[in-house]
Amino acid sequence: MLIWFLPLFLIFLFIGLPVFFGMLAAPGIMLALNGQERDLALLYRNVYNGMDSFPLMAVPFFMLAGELMNKGGITERLVEFAQSMMGHLRGGLAHVNILSSMLFAGLSGSAVADTSALGSMLIPAMEKQGYTRRFAAAITAASSVIGPIIPPSGIMIIYAYVMGESVAALFLAGIVPGILVGIGLMMMVGFMANRYQFPVATARATWREKGRSFARAFFPLMTPVIILGGILLGVFTPTEAAAIAVFYALIIGLYVLKTLKWRELPAILSKAAMTSSVVLLLVGAAMAFKTVVSLSHTPEALAAFILGLSDNPLILLFLINILLFIVGMFLDAGPAIIILGPILGPIFVDLGIHPVHFAIIMSVNLTVGLATPPMGLVLFVASSVSGERVQKIAKTILPFLAVEVVVIFLITYFPAISMTIPRLTGFVQ
Amino acid sequence: MTILTGLIKGIGALNSGVLRIARVFAVAAIALMVAAILVQVFFRYVIGNALPWPDEFARFCMLWMTGLMAPVAYRHGGFVAIDMLPEFLGRRAAAALSLFLLLVSLLVLVVGIKLGLKHVNSGWLFSSASLKVPLSLIGMQSIKLKLVYMYSSLWIGLILLTSVNIELILRSLASLIKGDHQSPFLSDTTADSPTPSAGAS
Repeated sequence: MLIWFLPLFLIFLFIGLPVFFGMLAAPGIMLALNGQERDLALLYRNVYNGMDSFPLMAVPFFMLAGELMNKGGITERLVEFAQSMMGHLRGGLAHVNILSSMLFAGLSGSAVADTSALGSMLIPAMEKQGYTRRFAAAITAASSVIGPIIPPSGIMIIYAYVMGESVAALFLAGIVPGILVGIGLMMMVGFMANRYQFPVATARATWREKGRSFARAFFPLMTPVIILGGILLGVFTPTEAAAIAVFYALIIGLYVLKTLKWRELPAILSKAAMTSSVVLLLVGAAMAFKTVVSLSHTPEALAAFILGLSDNPLILLFLINILLFIVGMFLDAGPAIIILGPILGPIFVDLGIHPVHFAIIMSVNLTVGLATPPMGLVLFVASSVSGERVQKIAKTILPFLAVEVVVIFLITYFPAISMTIPRLTGFVQ
Repeated sequence: MTILTGLIKGIGALNSGVLRIARVFAVAAIALMVAAILVQVFFRYVIGNALPWPDEFARFCMLWMTGLMAPVAYRHGGFVAIDMLPEFLGRRAAAALSLFLLLVSLLVLVVGIKLGLKHVNSGWLFSSASLKVPLSLIGMQSIKLKLVYMYSSLWIGLILLTSVNIELILRSLASLIKGDHQSPFLSDTTADSPTPSAGAS
């Protein structure tokens, strides 16, 4: 009987109930109908306990760090650096866009921040050079999904917390897949650039110019080194690393680059607090939801169903990728991972898939979903920063999405892509 | 209709006032969180003395930040939802659906407040592991903070969410009657009311 909470939840979700309320209403109603009043009280406690967590604090911190870097002119220096490296290639600014996303991904864990920061700068610049606006917006959206794949990553922190995995292991496992998405997109741009005669952005930078732009971008580029270095060496926890990233961004913005002003801080803090409060409530609801998932033996029932389809993990992984991709079309990566992680994770771990590997498959797939029509969040952000209609961007982005789908399957069927770095560093046995 | 408009104005003004204060506290809370964790790292590595309280204090701030800021986000339509179906419905049906969804949300909030009361009261029985009210500064004995001060964060958050929810219900009721079918959510897009659904994505 209790298991009916899942269809009820899906109905609520489909008719547009906010995910937070749906995650509590569906299990709550079924528990009440079942007369399990005590478990209802447990639901409330688990929302609270789910939010009361030290590791989770990295979420607001990384969001704050991202906001500070965004306001602090750090983006500009990253783009300058990317331009000195790749601006001379055919399709230069498109390559610069992708490389900037990869660099930006090391500072922020959010595709939306990436799209709005880089898009507002690069889309007008690309248009000026003769790219169509829809192409500029599409490549910005497509490359921004690298943001949450290369560490730090908001959704990986959340996944790690909800599923009890190590944040460090997930961060490390995301590095190669993120670079792979970047290289794949660059290959596609290279192919299109030759075919459609894309413009070259700038003359080849001399080594001296490269050195100068590197020096200007040095402090921002050091952020991922500090974050990952600190975590890897065991100097600090991911939460502490995130707080240090905030401090570092603050000092650089206020005193080194002098692009940030004290009076801008309240608005930045307020924005970070607002975005993270919604996420934290969702995580709390997810922990309550997870309790009911296990109380109702949903994973067992679903596992029986899934294993009825096939007992070959390779085929099941293919099917699950399609399911995730479809979910990603309609739901943002964060909520999707919170809902599906507890349901699907145990099934695939039982099938012998490493939990970290499965986490990366889910994260990358659902992150790519941020750029898929009809409900891709970054498509909407790209549309609002560029002024181009979502439908047009959605059409132009298709070749890049195809590349990302190929990468998803590579990651799925070659675990070494994601697992090698965490294994070598001893974060995964 | 006049009564409804008056009610909306009244509760709207109440929410605006209360949430303005809530936002100030939430901003202070996130700043204090960062400060506490930095102090923790500083004391551990530079002074060589790990402090017992920053971890719990930062969590305390995070809980309150969430409780006080989430209602602001909710009022601006910041809770993540799939809003595809209304586009396929007629305008009237979409407005009715939105009202229904707000009522389901209200049910969750009211049950939550009821269950939360027990949880909050249980907080009087337990003291915090490391947080104290430093009365020793004024010559008295410091007392340990009761957990009720943490437990209340979610509960107060639910109360504020309910107040916002009632405002939204009244708004969508009014727009259903008037037939203009406007979104009940506030739509000002000032610098500090972003699309919070952007969340961790």
